[in-house]
Formats: sequence, structure tokens, C-alpha cells
Amino acid sequence: MARRRYHDGLALHQALPGQFLPFLVAAMSFLAALALAGGIAAHGLSQRWTHGAGAVTTVQVPGPDDPAAGTGTRIAAVQDILAHAPGIITAHRLSDAELRSLLAPWIEQTGDASLPLPAVIEVHTTAGQDPMPPLLPRLEAIAPGVMVEHDSVWSDRLAALAASLQACALLSVMIVMTVAVCVVMAATRAGLQTRRQAIALIHSLGAMDSYISGRFASRVGLLALVGGLGGSLAALPMLLAMSHLAAPFAAVTDAQATAPMDWRDPAAWADIVPHALLWMLLALPPAAGMTGWVTTQLTVRAWLRRLP
Amino acid sequence: MFRLHDVSYAHGGNAGVAALSHISLDVPQGEFRWLLGPSGAGKSSLLSILSLEVQASAGMVEILGVPVMQARRSSLARLRRRIGTVWQDFRLLPDLSVFDNVALPLRLQHRAEDEIAHEVHAIMKWVGLENRLDARPLQLSGGEQQRVAIARAVIYRPALLLADEPTNALDERQAGRLMAMFHRLAELGTTIVVATHNDAIVEKYPAPAIELAHGHMVRDYR
Ligand SMILES: Nc1ncnc2c1ncn2[C@@H]1O[C@H](COP(=O)(O)OP(=O)(O)OP(=O)(O)O)[C@@H](O)[C@H]1O
Ligand SMILES: [Mg+2]
Repeated sequence: MARRRYHDGLALHQALPGQFLPFLVAAMSFLAALALAGGIAAHGLSQRWTHGAGAVTTVQVPGPDDPAAGTGTRIAAVQDILAHAPGIITAHRLSDAELRSLLAPWIEQTGDASLPLPAVIEVHTTAGQDPMPPLLPRLEAIAPGVMVEHDSVWSDRLAALAASLQACALLSVMIVMTVAVCVVMAATRAGLQTRRQAIALIHSLGAMDSYISGRFASRVGLLALVGGLGGSLAALPMLLAMSHLAAPFAAVTDAQATAPMDWRDPAAWADIVPHALLWMLLALPPAAGMTGWVTTQLTVRAWLRRLP
Repeated sequence: MFRLHDVSYAHGGNAGVAALSHISLDVPQGEFRWLLGPSGAGKSSLLSILSLEVQASAGMVEILGVPVMQARRSSLARLRRRIGTVWQDFRLLPDLSVFDNVALPLRLQHRAEDEIAHEVHAIMKWVGLENRLDARPLQLSGGEQQRVAIARAVIYRPALLLADEPTNALDERQAGRLMAMFHRLAELGTTIVVATHNDAIVEKYPAPAIELAHGHMVRDYR
């Protein structure tokens, strides 16, 4: 009997059929999910490149084993300074083996294994700081010819790239939203048009605008919620696969990057997908539902203004 | 009760077809009025102003104490719940059953379902259609549809009842029953306006009349 309450002549199942709208909203939610995922990934990478563990400075010390101005070797003196400087997290001297593997192509070309190699120290600095310039005169004093190389050209470019990727993602989401709003408006108007006699009748029997717009909006909101759910679910496997491919680049530690993934462990799945991404997928269906609800409310109320 | 002062109305805005010019009326509570005039005189137009389906183009309209031209949309919606209308073209919803058509005004007022069922059965028994509740309007004859439209208009006991040619599809016996009900409702305080160009029924049931011709009022009362 409760169903009878809605025998108000609006027949919304006919006015707003349940296949067309959810399908379109699902397709658009899917696109929005991909765009948002791109934006989130770009944000993550830019964090890492600009001031994460990825900001690396290399210090080249020529003639590392020559005596320094004070005591000990040059390399020892340089390492000592770096070890005590503020803003430096680690200063790791590349081993001979690391160096040779790094330089392998050139060494093989010249065929000279006894080429004197400089020492290379990889310096990781704290987020957002560059402690190297003030240290430079001191390093120069004990190890003439020392070279400090910054990858800031790269990180700046990468950061700019990440920023433009984020802007693209935002723009895509806005376009998708606009299209979704237009589609909902068109569907609602078509629904209003097919039921205009019933609407005019219940209007003249004293139905409030809020009643009519509420009936339409809850139907459209529900359809959009279902569509958003479909879009999120469809995007999930794709984003999981992409996250898995991207995992080595996004990993915080080396161990995380190289450890093989246990496919049966749900926690491992949750780990490879950034949490922001999961939240985004969860938020998408209610956001789609809300967008549909609000758009329909406004469309119906504007339409009802034609009735006195 | 309602009052009109110097009301004009044109279909399709002020530049459109003039349907009513300078109408002034004052009908107190519990009064019955015939609304007379030849076809095209403006009877339905006047009723659509009184039933708040259209806004008068000019003049003052006050219905059941509410000044219509200044009222907010929500007050107009509430006012419509106190006005019952039998339209000339019935306006039954073809995809609802007879029961649901008649129950519609009560459903819009969020009445309880068992109360609605009780009211619908009572009124449909009175119009003699208690065994056609599950039919669709288009499965009914013209007179039966008209009786359904009448049932829908009176089921919520409106304070103002407007009927546009409510007897044109009825036989004489049913028309007589309807007129008896109108007089009973008027006694109970309902203001009633019935438009017709059927002179025979007006002669048979004499009552005060408003007469229109070409959108002008030619007679008020008799
Ligand atoms: N929707 C409309 N658009 C334009 N003109 C209209 C419209 N409805 C009615 N009219 C015109 O307004 C005038 C009054 O019409 P109305 O329907 O009020 O007459 P009536 O007295 O009810 O006639 P009838 O007895 O035939 O029902 C007529 O000239 C008619 O042609
Ligand atoms: Mg008429």
C-alpha cells in the first residue's frame, strides 16, 4: 500500500527511464575518475620530485684520496662537512662498484679500467631546502675542483609538468561535470515535457513546487548515484593496474618498490592504490548523485515557473 | 467567497485574444451561482482565473480571503487545495486507475491511505461508480468520466467549487442528483459556480446567475 503514495500521476519510471541516464552518468564518472586519478598521481609525483626523497644533489670530489688542507684525505674531509651540515638527511658515497656500473658504457668504450675516477657523493636534502650554496666555499677550500650538481633543473621541469598535468585533470573534471549537468538538464526537461499534463493537473490540485521538484530530483539523484557507482566500479580495475605499474616510482622506500606483491592480500591492494585515489572513488558516486539531485531541483523549479 | 474587481484577461498575454474585460463580482460564502453565456463568451476563462490556473492580466482578484495578485507561490498552492474544479475536458490522468484519479488530491495532501480508501469508496458510491474503481478513465463512457471528475473535485471538501458544464454528459436523473448535491454543499458553506449554456437545466433549477457575452458581464444576479 505504501507504493500507492506515489500514484500521483507523475509516472517517473516512464518520464525518466532507468537505463539511459545511469549509463551516461557512469560513462562520465568513469572519465572523471581517470582525470582525477591523473591529477592525484601528478600531485604525488610533484611532491616527490620537488621536495621529497627524490631531490638529490651530487657532489663530485676529484682526487679523493689526495691529502686535504687540514688532516686526512679530501673525501673524508668533505664527508665530514656534509655529515654535520644542517638540512642534509643522508650523504652516501657511491662505492667503486656503483660508480663503475654507472659509468660502464664510457669505461668500456675507452677500454681503460684504471682511469682515475672522482668520488661521487649522493646528498639527500630536507624537503624544500637547499643547504648546499653556503657550504660551497668550505668544500672548495679543502677539495679544489669540487663540483656540486643539482638536479633542480629536472625537478623544476618535472614540477612544472606535474602542475600542468594537474591543471589538465582539473579542467577535464570541470568539462565532464558541465556535460553531466547538461545531460541531466536535458533528460529532466524531456521528462517534464512528457508528463506536462499530469504536472499541470497536480499543480492545480495544490501540489507545491517543492513536492514536484523533489519527486523528480530524488529519481534523478538515485539514477545518478547508481551511474556514479557503475563508473567508479568500472574505473577501479584500471586504476589498480596503473597504480601497480606506477608503484616503483611512487614507493617511499626501495624495499617497497622491489618487494614482489602478494596478489591475494587485500591489504597489499589497498597499499598500491594511493589512499587519495580510494577516497576519490568512494566520493564519486555520492558526488554524482548530489550533482544530479541539485541540477534537477533547479531545472524543475525553473520549469514550474511557467505555471502561475 | 471571492471578489473580482475590474478584471481583464487575454489568452497569450496582453496582446493576445481578449477573453474577459472589466469583470467585477462579489460572491459571498455558501452561495450558488450559475455562470451563463453563449459559447466563447468567456465562462471557462473566468473559471480558470478563479481556479488559479491563470493570472488575470489586470484588476484585483481575492479568493477565500487571499489577495491572489500579491500572494506567494506557496500560499497559492495552499489556496488551490481549498478550490475544487470540474473541468470542461475532465482532465483525468489516463494512466491512473479511477481510484487513483479520485484519490489524487488527498494523496497530495499526504492523507493516510486507509482514510483515502474510505473517502474514495464513499464518494464513488455516491456517483454510482463503486464497481469501476480499477478501470482506466478511457475505458469509461463520457458521463462516467464526468462523474469521476466530479468525485475528484468534491472529495477534499473544497471551500470554493467550480464546475464547467458538469452536466453536459449526464442524463437527467444524474444531473438532478448532482444539482441536489450542489445545493447541499452550498448549505454546508461551499461557494459554488457552475458554468453552463444549457438553458433547460437553468430553468429547472433556478438560482442567481452571472451572465457573460463576448467577455463582458451583461448581468450579475437575478
Ligand atoms: N487557450 C486559448 N488561447 C487563445 N484563445 C483562447 C484560448 N481559450 C479560449 N480562448 C478564446 O477566449 C474566448 C473565451 O473562451 P472560453 O473558453 O472562456 O469560452 P466559454 O464561454 O467557456 O465557451 P464554451 O461555452 O464553448 O466552453 C474565446 O474567444 C476563445 O476562442
Ligand atoms: Mg468553456
